[in-house]
Amino acid sequence: MANEAEKTSQIQVRDKQTIAGESTRPGPVFRPDVDILERADAYVIFADLPGADDKHVDVRLEKGILSLDARLATHPESGWNPVHLEYRIGDFHREFRISDDVDPGAVSASMRDGVLELNLPKSETHRPRTIAIQTG
Amino acid sequence: MAQYTLYRPWAASPAGGFDELRREMDDLIRRFGSAGASEARGVFPAANLYETGDAYVLTAELPGVSSNDIQVTLEGSTVTLAGERKIDYPGGGTSVHRLERQAGSFRRAFELPVVVDSEKVEAIHKDGVLMLRLPKAPEHQPRQIAVKAD
Repeated sequence: MANEAEKTSQIQVRDKQTIAGESTRPGPVFRPDVDILERADAYVIFADLPGADDKHVDVRLEKGILSLDARLATHPESGWNPVHLEYRIGDFHREFRISDDVDPGAVSASMRDGVLELNLPKSETHRPRTIAIQTG
Repeated sequence: MAQYTLYRPWAASPAGGFDELRREMDDLIRRFGSAGASEARGVFPAANLYETGDAYVLTAELPGVSSNDIQVTLEGSTVTLAGERKIDYPGGGTSVHRLERQAGSFRRAFELPVVVDSEKVEAIHKDGVLMLRLPKAPEHQPRQIAVKAD
């Protein structure tokens, strides 16, 4: 996947994946595209949430499940008559199973241009450590 | 080479009515059809076009694209969106568990049914969504004609 994107340099739109059921709000719920990386000291998740701002994003970590919910900050106005529609709008939802080495208290999140960045630092005991070798 | 796609969903077709019917059916199938059907035909960014009385409104989903990396050009009735989506990970990633987001360049052109008043076009990029407000040229704006009593 990654190599392919680098080679072509042209972006393709991925179809929005609808999540069925369980919603208490009207309208479709989509599964956002994410990148998940692991560094020595943390996991980092990037999620595409176009149309959502920081006030409309809810991140919870409970029983090892990180759940992400987002709603749109702005909606099409009532006087806008659709002429040509290529994408649907709605809420976003996705869940991630988080491994035991994440420090739940240290999770942080930030939003920029409709992309959520989640930082999940590993707890101290799970971080790699350099042991200094003493000459003696 | 940049991608260039010209959409003319509103241009009158020489075949007339039947083509229009077919297009409407295609739209219906696309909007209400089977799950997983392509909504955006794979072209980035996906865009929606709306019409108000005096303007067209074009919205496009551009998450993670900075305002500086979007170029909007207007020529007559054709609007072009071009730019680049850059994805870089500060600090680097030692390993990758999942990569669904894509980086790269994009270019799309949209032909509107009428000429736009280029002086009054507004572009707002907020929360990863670009909104263009494209007022119709004065001669295409709806006009109220006063009816005089004889």
